[in-house]
Parts: sequence; structure tokens; C-alpha cells
Amino acid sequence: MQKLMEMLEEKMAPIAMKLDNNRYITAIKDGFFGVMSLLIIGSFFLLLANLPITGYPEFMAKILGDEWKTYFTVPYDVTMNLMTVYVVIAMSRSLAKTYKLDSIACITSAIVAFLILTPMLELKDGGYGIPITNLSASGLFLGMLSAVLVVEIIKFVDKKGWLIKMPDSVPENVSRSFSALIPGLFVIIIFNLIRIGFSLTPFENVQEFVFHYLQLPLLTLGDTLPAMLTSTIFEGTLWSFGIHGSNVVSGILKPIWLTLTAENAAAFSAGETLPYIINYQFYSNFMKIGGFGATFGLAILLLTAAKSSQFKALGKLSIGPSIFGINEPIIFGLPIVLNPLMIIPFILATPIMAVIAYFAMSSGLVPYTNGTNIPWTTPPIISGFIVSGWKGALLNVVQIIVSAGIYYPFFKSADRIAYKKEQDEKE
Amino acid sequence: MKTIMLVCSAGMSTSLMVSKMKDTAVQRNIDADIFAISASEFDDTLANKDVNVVLLGPQVKFMKKQLAPKLADKNVPIDAINMQHYGMMNGEKVLEQALQLLENK
Repeated sequence: MQKLMEMLEEKMAPIAMKLDNNRYITAIKDGFFGVMSLLIIGSFFLLLANLPITGYPEFMAKILGDEWKTYFTVPYDVTMNLMTVYVVIAMSRSLAKTYKLDSIACITSAIVAFLILTPMLELKDGGYGIPITNLSASGLFLGMLSAVLVVEIIKFVDKKGWLIKMPDSVPENVSRSFSALIPGLFVIIIFNLIRIGFSLTPFENVQEFVFHYLQLPLLTLGDTLPAMLTSTIFEGTLWSFGIHGSNVVSGILKPIWLTLTAENAAAFSAGETLPYIINYQFYSNFMKIGGFGATFGLAILLLTAAKSSQFKALGKLSIGPSIFGINEPIIFGLPIVLNPLMIIPFILATPIMAVIAYFAMSSGLVPYTNGTNIPWTTPPIISGFIVSGWKGALLNVVQIIVSAGIYYPFFKSADRIAYKKEQDEKE
Repeated sequence: MKTIMLVCSAGMSTSLMVSKMKDTAVQRNIDADIFAISASEFDDTLANKDVNVVLLGPQVKFMKKQLAPKLADKNVPIDAINMQHYGMMNGEKVLEQALQLLENK
């Protein structure tokens, strides 16, 4: 059995390496890593504008005046609702770094390119404006595609050596601004042609087209339980071989999950019905309780029910990190990795959490998550409360009990084996 | 002074590992600079810092083949941390592994 596992590990590692090293996936990961703190800060302002407490709006209006809500919604609007701008910046910078190109030139060109494709509105009193919604999550996929295409164009021009060369006596800053001219020109011409091309079609603009034919289908698929279960089982399989499965899977799926989150946040802010069950909070707060594998229940078992001194020590060590969703001590220390006995509950527990939470929400027992983008390290129960109210907190409690139940028989026999080994060693 | 670099994926659990190793180094009176980076920072860090030994977190063990050639001409040893030593956050054993690698290079 151990041989078989090691052979599989050999087979899995190259797949993980490919996915982990893919430059576009790295750019997406870096892109969202870069904006995550803004999204977290912004969503807290959103929460403060909409605390679900009776009498709260009246109370705030009394002390801060009728305009009180804007005190919180402006920070929310310029963070979460402008998220695409920040993602474009962070993604183009990451790709520029991979290709060793001038990152400022790449970032500014990417923003320009994205704005060329973003529809504007004529304002009533003359002048033009870009609707915030075009820069929010609904423009996200267009922004990501623009960032990638722009850096590829710049790389192409750079490779061809089409640059304006300045004599050596010209200061570096000046010559740099000239050397950015040609690639920038290429980017603007190409994107402008794309814009004009689409304006002649029934879609009228690219954003509309990308939204309807790429983003919406991906969101609709991403919001389904089967898609979530499939990606989760893949994630668990990678982890079982010691590979950081969550890094790989969320690198690819985070854009979809965070868009779903942002749509819920927008609805929450407008006081409308929340549209999506599955999103980033569903994944990090109602599935990965205690980390991937929903190991919080297992951590409690290790702490309270272990007989072997190895498991007791691991329980004391792992309970702290587990509260914050970090479970590498359990995954590698128990270990779960390459351990056929523990892999069974480990792969099954997270999908089971997903099914429980999905039906709790679709049946109306527990509210959908409100789009508050709390850090994934927020302890369970507290996180459930923030995103879905007290029923969300209660759901977390039920899930922890179920998780402990799933792990119990496997934990018992692994503990018995470890205990017996310790006794044998003593004799 | 020995510079020990840990490479992992996100940095959350490895930072715990680093602090355990630092504790051990202080106890044993070893002058060591121990720090962790994520795999994507590898090239940059290597260019800017004089690293003596590289340890890989078990999550990125598979990167050894890819990273080793970048270290070969500098004569910097690299190895993956034993999975269970990592899981149990055993600073003593992991520091020992780093020192062994340095000795055998």
C-alpha cells in the first residue's frame, strides 16, 4: 500500500508543479493576493453600513445625520466596487515580473487598455463618466483578459526589439519613457481596434460580450454544488499527497468565487435578495472549518480523546492554529499525507460540509453569506455569525460536531495503532 | 553566521516552524539567520541574500528538482523537511537537519 501511495505521489507532483508554476495562474494568484486586503477592509465598511440590528439605522442617523450611510459606503465603493482596477494592476505587475519587463509600463498600459474597452456614459449635464459597476466585479474577467493580453503584446514588441533607442548621454528616466512609446502605441491601437470592431456588432461593447459569454456562464457553473464538489475532491486528493491543493485550486477558482462574493455584497448593500449560495465565504467559512478537510473536529478529538502520547502532543500543538484555519500540523504531523486510513475521512469531510451548508441555505434555514469578505483565518462560529448571522454560527457548530463524527472511527484506530507502537517501544 | 532559508507555499505554518527553529538556535547558542519565503520569491531572494542552506516545506517538496540546479553552482545544499518533523513543529530536528546538510556539503 505504501509503495502504491509513493508511486501515485510521483505521478501527482508534476501535475501540481505545472499548475503551480503556470505564469497565468501565478498572475491570477498574485492579482488577488494583492487586492485581498482592500476587499477585506471594504467589506467591513459595508457591514458597518448594514448591521442587521433593529434600530441601528435610526440610531446612526440620530448621531451622524441622515447622510450617515455614505460615511461607510464610499470606502466600500472605492475598494470592493473598483476591484477590477486593482486586480488589473496587480496581475499585470506579476506577469511583467515573470517576463522581466518594466512593470510601470505594463501596469499603465494594462489600465489604459482595460479603460478603452470599458463602456462610458454621457452625463446629463455634458461630460462623460465611467459607471462604477463597469469597474466592479462585473468587469473582472474583461480586466483579467486585458492585463494578460497587454503584457503579452509588450513582451512581443520587446522581443522583436522595436524600441526607440536614445543615445547613452540621455538620462535613464527620459530614455525609459521613450522606450515605452512603441509598446504602448501597439497596445492602444490593438485595443482600440477591438473596441471599434465590437461597436459594429450587436453586442455594442466588449464588456457586454465577455460578461455574457464568459463571465456569466462561469459564475453560473461556479455556483453549482456539483462543480464545488468536483473541485473540492481534486483539492483533497492533492493534499493527500502532501501538495498544497488549496493553493492550486483556489488559484484557479478564486476569481469566480470572489465575483460571486462581490455580487452578494452589492445586493446586500442595496438591500436586495442575495443571489448566490456558493462564493468565497461559503468555501472558506462553511467548508474549510479548521482548514481543508474540515479538521477542526479532528483537532478537538486529538486534544480530548487521544490515548497515545503522540496524538496528545499533536492535539495540544494543533488546536491553536486550527482555530485560525491552519492545519498543516495535523496534515503532516498525524500524518494524513500518504496515510490511506486518514485520507478517507480527509477527502470526504469537506464535500460533506459543502452539502450540509448548501442545503441549509437553499432550504432557507440559514441565510446566504452577505458578501462580507472576512479573512479566511477568522475562527469558525465567529465567521459564521459575521457572514450569515446567528444561524450561520449555529451551522458552524453543527458542522464541527459532524466533522468530529466523520473522523472519530478513523481517529480511534489510528490512535490505537500509535498507542500500541508506543507500548511496544517501551518494552 | 549561518543563513537558513525555508521555502513553502503560503507562509502561515512555516512561520511557526521558523520561530521554533529560532528558539532552538538561541538555546543551543548557534548564530543563525533563519527565515521563510514563498516559492515565488525564491529567485529574488537568492539574488539579494547570501543563503547557506535551503529547506523545503513538505507542501513544496516536489519543487526540489526544479530549484536544485539554481543552487548547484553556488554550492548551496537543498532538501525537503521531514514531513512529521514539520507537522509536529519540531524545531530541534529541523535545525539539526539544516546543520547536517551544511556539514556534508
